[in-house]
Amino acid sequence: MRDKLLIVEDLWKFIDGKPILRGVAFEINEGETKVILGPSGAGKSTLLRCINLLVMPDKGKIIFDGEDILGKHDIHSVRSKIGFVFQHFNLFSHMTALENVMFGLIKVKKMSKNEAEKKAKGALAAVGITEELWDKYPAQLSGGQQQRVAIARALAMEPKLILFDEPTSALDPELIWEVLNVMERLAKARMTMIVVTHEIGFAMRVADEVMFLDNGVILEKGAPEQVILNPRNERVKRFMDRMKYVYSIGKGNVY
Amino acid sequence: MISELLYIISKYGPLLLEGLKTTFIITLISYFIGFVGGISIAITRTFLHKALKVFAHIYVELFRGTPMLVQLFFVYYALPEMGIRFDPILSSIIAIGLNSAAYQSEYIRSALSSIPYAEIEAAYSIGLTRFGAMLYIALPQAVRIAIPTLTNEAIYLFKYSSIAYFVTAPELMYMGKLVATQTFLYVEVYTVLAIIYVIFSIVLSGIARYIEKKLQIPGYIV
Amino acid sequence: MWQSFASYIPIISSAVPNTLILTFLSFAIATALGISMAFAEVFATKAVSIVVDWIARVLRGIPLIISIFIVFYGLPKVGVVLPSLYAAILGIAIVDAGYQEQIFRGAIKAVSTKQLEAAYSLGLARAEAFLYIVLPQAFRIALPSWINDFTVVLKDTSIAYAIGVVEVFTQAVHVAQVIMDYVWPLIFVSVIYLAICYPLSLLSNYLHSKLKSMGMLGSGM
Repeated sequence: MRDKLLIVEDLWKFIDGKPILRGVAFEINEGETKVILGPSGAGKSTLLRCINLLVMPDKGKIIFDGEDILGKHDIHSVRSKIGFVFQHFNLFSHMTALENVMFGLIKVKKMSKNEAEKKAKGALAAVGITEELWDKYPAQLSGGQQQRVAIARALAMEPKLILFDEPTSALDPELIWEVLNVMERLAKARMTMIVVTHEIGFAMRVADEVMFLDNGVILEKGAPEQVILNPRNERVKRFMDRMKYVYSIGKGNVY
Repeated sequence: MISELLYIISKYGPLLLEGLKTTFIITLISYFIGFVGGISIAITRTFLHKALKVFAHIYVELFRGTPMLVQLFFVYYALPEMGIRFDPILSSIIAIGLNSAAYQSEYIRSALSSIPYAEIEAAYSIGLTRFGAMLYIALPQAVRIAIPTLTNEAIYLFKYSSIAYFVTAPELMYMGKLVATQTFLYVEVYTVLAIIYVIFSIVLSGIARYIEKKLQIPGYIV
Repeated sequence: MWQSFASYIPIISSAVPNTLILTFLSFAIATALGISMAFAEVFATKAVSIVVDWIARVLRGIPLIISIFIVFYGLPKVGVVLPSLYAAILGIAIVDAGYQEQIFRGAIKAVSTKQLEAAYSLGLARAEAFLYIVLPQAFRIALPSWINDFTVVLKDTSIAYAIGVVEVFTQAVHVAQVIMDYVWPLIFVSVIYLAICYPLSLLSNYLHSKLKSMGMLGSGM
């Protein structure tokens, strides 16, 4: 019996009067990888932002690590336990790769500089960012390298959960692989992750559960084979057919 | 003409140098006041409470909408009517500093607004507070982005501090006027002054470009 | 205090036309000089370009009071006797020309070579490309800074006080000396300056943000 790390109950969010999330509910166990699929504008990004309290939900409950985090005053300590990897990396442009990773350790975790540096280097090594890149600034790195530094930045904080918001959508096709590869290794190491992505191949290989979000509602959830290959919902089926067309080679199916 | 310029420099050089020293003191201190004030105003207008924002906004528009000379006269001539008295140099420093704060705040504010919100959000995502994100992420970048305008402002103040002459602060312009009235070589003396100001302005802007390059974030194009 | 000042309001107000003449004329001269220098710098030969650049730098380095004094004391020496108003106009224009050169040069350069390439690709001649592509864009890009520079010149006209030009600031100081109160005269001229500068600064900001939204500012051009 594994512990429930995150419980989301009846989550609602309105932006400019329009409902973006309409009663979303799900749970995630420690060590699980959950993939959220769905069309753009479905509320996937908003859902992740709510979990990290970057956006405050209007209604509902988020229990993280046994605590109701919506009622908590110290949202900063909650955020420091939940990593976030952004679509556009969002590295701090005035800091080197190494400094980007050290920054949170020093300012939020109050580590000494030496300690932080050691830890940051470890995290960078874990995502395959080698020594010659440590002193480069974000603008001097490729998209794939930037995203791996961003993952290291999240990882170094030793979060209990990492949220990935379309981490490969802004990357050139040939750079997607290096980021997915890092994420797969994290999943195998039983890091708890929620991943919003269009990479159905990744979902098939890695996800413990796939959720399909559309129009602020979870239309279907279940094992990846079921949701991606044999969806019951008509809307989900149409979406998956298109995705399979995009990701297939020739007539055959990728799987 | 040339011989007269040389005569002025050889005879009154030390006096002018004395004035130049005062010019630098006025420039440096008022620039510093302007920088600290400018950052405070920019932060207030970008991050802080509504009432304070309005107050800061009015301050900026008042100081940018009226001549620095009027502000200088206000400090030197009008404030004493209310029992607040400063000597000429201090009056100049205060007036120029307060004026510069308004301008520098605008430079920093516009730089702050050019920093992508995404980076602030990233700072939040690792647990930073609003203040922390402002202090460590937004401000260091904003100041760097604003460096060209901020260094220009310093050079501008160096030239504009010559208005301190109107309230008899013994800076370069004032000393020049003394020499001019003593020698009756008005054009020649003012030409010497112009040369001094121009040389220092150009040297200072060279230094400014150097600092700009040094502090530039590699690969980052604003 | 206010009572004794109130009767002097017409004296200060009567100098508003002079302030405006000072501003408009020196600004116009500076614009003509500034645009000419900017074009010379961008499109002339390398040697000319360097010389013009240095002239503009030197002009920008001269404090306004000194420029005004040099014109004021210098012209009579070469046989030209001008009323102090015109000496001030020239003195201000010379320095401001250096600043306007910077504004227009930046604007011309901001119209990228990509735009020129696109114009050439359609078969436009060099002159046509400048006339239809570079100029309209450069003008729009320069407009906010140009308006802003107008307010700078307006405020700078107060320095003409140094040679006794009868503009609003000079009048305010004279009134202050008579009634032995600086507060009201200075507040009153401030209002005059603000009344002109503030709307213009709003306009400049509006145009700037409009340009930004059109994607005409920044390095992406």
